[in-house]
Amino acid sequence: MDALIARADSIQPLSKRRKTSHTTSKAASSKGPSSKPQKPTTSDKTFSSVAKHTSIPKSLQDKHEIPEDARYKHITNKKLRTQLNQQSAQGARAKAFLQDAEMLLMDEAGGMEVEGELDRTWRIGQSEIVKVSGQEAAKGRKEYKLDGGPYRSRYTRNGRHLAIVGNKGHVATFDWQTGTMHSELQLQETCRDITFLQDHSYFAVAQKKYVFIYDRDGVELHCLKAHIEPTRLEFLPYHWLLATVGNAGYLKYQDTSTGQLLVEHRTKFGSCSAMTQNLHNAVIHLGHQNGCVTLWTPNLPHPAVQLLAHLGPVVSVTIDPSQGGRYMATAGRDGTVKVWDCRNWKGAVRDWTVRGGGDPELEWSQRGYLAVVSSGAINVYRPPSIHTPFNIRTPPPLYMTHPIPHRPLTSVRFAPFQDILTVGHSSGLSSVLVPGSGEPNFDSREADPFENRKARREREVKTLLDKIQPDLITIDPEMVGNLAPPSKLTTVTTFDGKPPADIPYARLPRMERLKVSGKLDETEDNSGGEDEGADPEAKAKAKEEREKRKMRGKGKSLNRYLRKQRKNVIDPSVIAIRKKIERQKEEKKREAEMSSAGITEQKKKPSALDRFKREK
Amino acid sequence: MVKISVLQHDLSVHLPARPGDPTPMSRNLNPLMHPFSRARERTRALNAAKMDRMFAKPFVDALEGHIDAVEVLCRKPGSLTGIASGSWDGGIVMHNLSTRKQIFNISQAHKGKVSGLCFSPGQGERLLSCGVDRNVKLWAAGEEGSSPDKPLNVFPGKTAFNSIHHHRTDPLFATASSIVQIWDETKLVLPPIAVLQTITAVRFNMSESSVLASIGTDRTFTLYDIRTGKAERRIIMHMRSNALAWSPTFPTTILLASEDHNLYTFDIRHLESPTQIYKAHVAAVMSCDWSPTGTEFVSGGWDRTVRIWQEGRGHQPEVYHTKRMQRVTSSIFSADARFVMTGSDDGNVRIWKAKASDKLGVVTARERAAMEYRESLKERWKVDAEVSRVARTRHLPKSVHQTAKLKTTMLEARRVKEERRRKHTRAGESKPKQEKKKAVLVEQT
Repeated sequence: MDALIARADSIQPLSKRRKTSHTTSKAASSKGPSSKPQKPTTSDKTFSSVAKHTSIPKSLQDKHEIPEDARYKHITNKKLRTQLNQQSAQGARAKAFLQDAEMLLMDEAGGMEVEGELDRTWRIGQSEIVKVSGQEAAKGRKEYKLDGGPYRSRYTRNGRHLAIVGNKGHVATFDWQTGTMHSELQLQETCRDITFLQDHSYFAVAQKKYVFIYDRDGVELHCLKAHIEPTRLEFLPYHWLLATVGNAGYLKYQDTSTGQLLVEHRTKFGSCSAMTQNLHNAVIHLGHQNGCVTLWTPNLPHPAVQLLAHLGPVVSVTIDPSQGGRYMATAGRDGTVKVWDCRNWKGAVRDWTVRGGGDPELEWSQRGYLAVVSSGAINVYRPPSIHTPFNIRTPPPLYMTHPIPHRPLTSVRFAPFQDILTVGHSSGLSSVLVPGSGEPNFDSREADPFENRKARREREVKTLLDKIQPDLITIDPEMVGNLAPPSKLTTVTTFDGKPPADIPYARLPRMERLKVSGKLDETEDNSGGEDEGADPEAKAKAKEEREKRKMRGKGKSLNRYLRKQRKNVIDPSVIAIRKKIERQKEEKKREAEMSSAGITEQKKKPSALDRFKREK
Repeated sequence: MVKISVLQHDLSVHLPARPGDPTPMSRNLNPLMHPFSRARERTRALNAAKMDRMFAKPFVDALEGHIDAVEVLCRKPGSLTGIASGSWDGGIVMHNLSTRKQIFNISQAHKGKVSGLCFSPGQGERLLSCGVDRNVKLWAAGEEGSSPDKPLNVFPGKTAFNSIHHHRTDPLFATASSIVQIWDETKLVLPPIAVLQTITAVRFNMSESSVLASIGTDRTFTLYDIRTGKAERRIIMHMRSNALAWSPTFPTTILLASEDHNLYTFDIRHLESPTQIYKAHVAAVMSCDWSPTGTEFVSGGWDRTVRIWQEGRGHQPEVYHTKRMQRVTSSIFSADARFVMTGSDDGNVRIWKAKASDKLGVVTARERAAMEYRESLKERWKVDAEVSRVARTRHLPKSVHQTAKLKTTMLEARRVKEERRRKHTRAGESKPKQEKKKAVLVEQT
């Protein structure tokens, strides 16, 4: 057929072609004037035979060479290598685009800058800031004069709506920009905290006995009777979990999309009144009465991290969102503020004592401005100096300060995407302007202060579809999509002195299979190698103990099963040990015989004939 | 002096300019603004995989018209809708796929089963059929609605025919019986080109149109050149093949559906070993056909399942089955590669989607974008255990599932035995042989 096909200008056998591939391809290209010059790089053997009959449309031909990634050079599979190269090229391109996208950000952050040496930003009062700020921004400076005890507040994720709750039971939610009130309730009982759920249409209030959920109009929707005497609430927006902690010291997670009580953790630290969430990994941080700070995830029954932060109760905990949740600040009743690095818990990065008494309250803004509120004044510190390590226990340089004549100051919240700080106190709330604290550029896909009703509904559905399962909450949020750590039960074995190879489980010999599945009895190995030097008393004791251990649970069916399983295992080391034991026994026996015969006394002198003796 | 600036969002930028306008979007791609982006993307990928399975409704319709098993299916060239089917009862039915009606029905085209069908090239005006009644018949199939009562021409043969295939350009066709014969449509029989065992199927190559491939009951696959009229290459495999198909895009690639539950693609320049073995069927593969794109192919098996394979991927094909579908004896792709037609022992021709979760009907641009996004998500997260499990899992009939389990056990036992035997023979005495190398017993040129 070869001759025939060749004559008929047909497909040629490759084996013939291989040797003269250069000449034939050249001939083919020179023969056909219409055919384009072929790329020399194409090593596909079918290409030259097919090319005459088929050609890829121009739009589908890729003009760009994919850059080779050095990391994948060792991969022999060409398809896989090309795919990986494409992926890495795409990743590089995306990174470049991301840098370009920063130019498209429209709004600029605020701030206060001093020009003279002796000027200080903290000398600037609110009246001056309000004077120079724009009309819209000036709306943020407000004093809410309200009765009903110290107030707590909470903003929605887009910073548009504010929920406030007074200790005596006054609850109100409103759009603070336009001044529209959504609901106002007089609950007539002690209320300790409030939080919005996914958006301003639902909010949860920690009341005297239970947690209640209300809708935007203030209609009571649910009474969560599982959450008893709650003190603090947190809502994890991406997991749709409402976390509460109460006087009983139980941390409870309620799934607000399905309504299930997901899990309750007993903290064993008693009443807890300091709680915050890490926005970047959804870990809940609790501050306890004994000075401990604990980190919780729903899937661990014990704290993921527990550290002794203060001498005396921890009164406030906050986490820096601008650094990806890297820094945590805690305040204790001992009047100290400590900044911690969440990757290294060996001591605080920086700590200082606040002046005056009272419980200091802390809050970190989106751009990393730390507000410390204590004993009638708000102090705001600027980012780089807060977490630069400093040995002396002095506060970082002050950025802004503002006195508030009412005590106690209970809650402090920065408004997202605004330069506003809201502090609750006994006679209402006061909002002050903190230039530079708010992130200027929001993302409409995440949180948009200007979204309309339709967009809000759309986003609610989208986020519900993207709801992350609670068991994915870990300290390291990048765990998802990383390579799994290698299993400890490995099937990599060395065989007959050959280099180690990963043999699939089914192909392993029985011994190795047992070893991999953890069923191999490794105790037999060291049973034979008992050391001789130990004193007899201890030895006897050990033996007795061993006997005891042997007896206990001997009749169990599982043990019998396991014993059967390993009965037929032929392990060279075990065989060797058994032989050794045999030999030792024999030796002892012989010695005993010899001693009984009294031959030991007269040790034989070595004679010349000994060399012909057979060795035992 | 102190410079003070307070953040203030420009309302003219962030609010719609006129009432009714959409609210402007603003983006900030800082990764800190998008916490849990990876975990959320994984959730989306998982949802995409689940949605894909949710919408997997591959069965479109069953076409009736035959009393007995459908033996052969054939696509009308130049048409998206026309297919012809031949049955064991001797009837030939021409179906219209879009209306799902019969164009014509020749109830007694042959005595006994219709074993082969093919259209003559061009616009498919003429249909050739062969049967076990030792006749090849030529029918006019051009105009719609008129049932051809009589064949245009009858070519009598000496033995029962098993298969027929038309030359790509010339008015020639080949038949398979105990011999391979080349016929001229207008004239008489050309001399037979080989005398062998029973030949079960013949196919002309579409690019090198004088190359003819055949398979026989003596486990052979043979290549002929009709210009010389000789068998040129021949391989003998372990078991006989039941069907064969030339790749429409790679002229040197041929697909064999074998009795040993596997499919094989061969490069005809290297017949010593197949380029890929496709293993999933749990009984003999009875039919196969390439998609017109050449990237996938369909196979129907004795195990009552239809499988759709990606070219070059020898495992985990898409699998279709129904309760009432019996042994699948014939299967073809539609000309637009979107549908698969199968004929089975129960006398029905079934239409399936080539992609199980494909949406039929108009797809808007937004929907298409969403689908493409879902596809790329699945591709990106396919290594995730959960996502891949959802994407991979198929429900199989109990019999197929049990057989597959039994088959793996048996193969595993065989392999272990082989390994033990090798271990206890002298080192280097017997070496493990690659599965591909085992497939071909003898190669003859």
